[in-house]
Amino acid sequence: MKGDISLSCHDLERYLGEEEERVHALRGVSLQVEAGSLHAVVGPSGCGKSTLLYILGLLDRPDAGSVEVGSTSISHLSDEELARRRSELIGFIFQFHFLMEDFTAHENVMIPMRRLGYLNENEMRERAAALLKAVDLGDKLRRPSRHLSGGEQQRVAIARALANDPQVILADEPTGNLDTDNSQRAFELLTNIVREREKALLLVTHNRFIADACDWVHEMKDGYLIASHSHGERISV
Amino acid sequence: MTAPLYIALRFATHRKRALLLSLVGVIFGLGIFICTQAQTQGFAQFFIDSTIGSNGALMLHSRFQPRYEGMVVAAKSPRAAAARRNYFEGINNVSEIMRVSREFSNVVACSPVIRGTISARAGFETTTADLYGIDPTSHLRTTDLAKQIVNGSFDDFRNNTSSVIVGYRLADLLEVGPGDTVQLLSPGGEYWRFNVAAIARSGVSTIDSGRVYAHARVAQRLLKKPYEASMIIYKLRNPDRAPALASHFEDLFQHTAQSWQEREEGNLQIFSTLRISAAITVSLIILLAGFGIFNVLTMSVLSKVREIAILRSMGYRRIDISAIFLWQGALIAGVGSLLGCVLGALLTLGISKVPIHIRGLLYTNHFLVVWDWRHYLWATMLAVVAVFIASYVPAKRAAQLQPVDTLRGSSL
Repeated sequence: MKGDISLSCHDLERYLGEEEERVHALRGVSLQVEAGSLHAVVGPSGCGKSTLLYILGLLDRPDAGSVEVGSTSISHLSDEELARRRSELIGFIFQFHFLMEDFTAHENVMIPMRRLGYLNENEMRERAAALLKAVDLGDKLRRPSRHLSGGEQQRVAIARALANDPQVILADEPTGNLDTDNSQRAFELLTNIVREREKALLLVTHNRFIADACDWVHEMKDGYLIASHSHGERISV
Repeated sequence: MTAPLYIALRFATHRKRALLLSLVGVIFGLGIFICTQAQTQGFAQFFIDSTIGSNGALMLHSRFQPRYEGMVVAAKSPRAAAARRNYFEGINNVSEIMRVSREFSNVVACSPVIRGTISARAGFETTTADLYGIDPTSHLRTTDLAKQIVNGSFDDFRNNTSSVIVGYRLADLLEVGPGDTVQLLSPGGEYWRFNVAAIARSGVSTIDSGRVYAHARVAQRLLKKPYEASMIIYKLRNPDRAPALASHFEDLFQHTAQSWQEREEGNLQIFSTLRISAAITVSLIILLAGFGIFNVLTMSVLSKVREIAILRSMGYRRIDISAIFLWQGALIAGVGSLLGCVLGALLTLGISKVPIHIRGLLYTNHFLVVWDWRHYLWATMLAVVAVFIASYVPAKRAAQLQPVDTLRGSSL
């Protein structure tokens, strides 16, 4: 790994559910994601991929282990502080895009900026328009998101994830709900953004072709990170 | 505009029908609350104005002396103290008491009255009447008698010592009007003849159905009273402070003093009970509107679970999520209060024009209303509190939602 470390975790443990239904979702997972690189997490359903993603995205807390953004440990931070860091440092993309359906594409992209509050209304508008233009939606700014196609909605979600210029983009099966063409297009878009803007991308996917195109592929099973591969090279953990 | 306010506005305007229903509840609740308060207080205020306008805000009558009871333990309450007095009918040193009374800043004017019960006869009708012997000039300054004249002239009364002013309902009963003659029976058994100079209507049934005003000296002779006045009535700058002044006057003049609040205690309690009853009834409407808002916002939270999770993933804090739903409540409370106050004013105006024939405790031909800014303030406060409570629970619930549960349920 050559770039600066954007996000890392060490010995993560996470239990989900209560009593008899309690599941050991993560078992001693350690991972590093560096700027300008693409990481894929693969594995069967229920192996802990999404749980890992939510912990790295500061949406959930591990029962043991630590998460660091840059060189700062954020495990001990309050809910408020975690929300602030999430707003500044992390962009999420979900399988079902999860746009605000009553909002236009333009407004959807402005939502994270409104929370961060660094830009005024005009600056937010300009930045959102530029981001939508970058994902080829410059002509659909004012269209309500529910009137966009699935592929277009996912591109709006990508633009929204980039709204606050985050260091890390976390994507939970970002192409899982798209056809092959749109999947390819969305992934290419993400790849270009990561390369050009020196972002770190960690995506959970079941799509083998997309995983193979990433710099690193992390394989999970039963809560364990069982292997991490770089392009062709396999490193046992 | 803050991010939660912006999102709240968008959420609220998206659910237009639900928003409209919530608003209608608040608007009608407020409007009816204001209108009923204006009415009930309108009747009460009319009664108070009429009774003060006729009998003054304070009355000073019988002289008293504390009874000497040797070793009896001193009374603890004013009522018990009053029971241990010797009373002497009438006031003898009227001029001196009035001179001292006028030194008090709250006293605008005062007027002596000699009072007694007589029989009045006109034609074939005879009835008992309450004779008020007055000094026209000072009585005019102290009461609203001149304004209460509905037929005839106060000047005719002033210029003719053998004339009387007769209460409106009494005049009806005796079938007399200005220019007619009425006979008043003295305690000695003689009928005295008087010209009716005017008919007065105070609006208060008990006054209008029994009162006859005559000149003080004539009344004193007719009633065969040895003293100048049975009582002194006062017009006060601030009638609300009458009880305190009454207590002070009792100590100062050693005469019984009675405020209008004490005098009309029974009637005031009826009005107060009616007003509270109306307020409770109408508050239920606002409460129901609150339940409506609670339902609307709860449904909104349930339908926005996914959006809440997304907002949290974008860095929105729990407090921001709460604020989104509290802002929606605030929006309903703000717009609802504003429109509710307008509706309340329109209803009050409308109801004041409605004809009504009341000839009981009060005399009126239309609904009586009071325009009081405090009704609007109370109604708004009530609505704001109800809406806040209705919004708080859904807002808290929204803030407590775990985004991971929603996201995991949608993506695994």
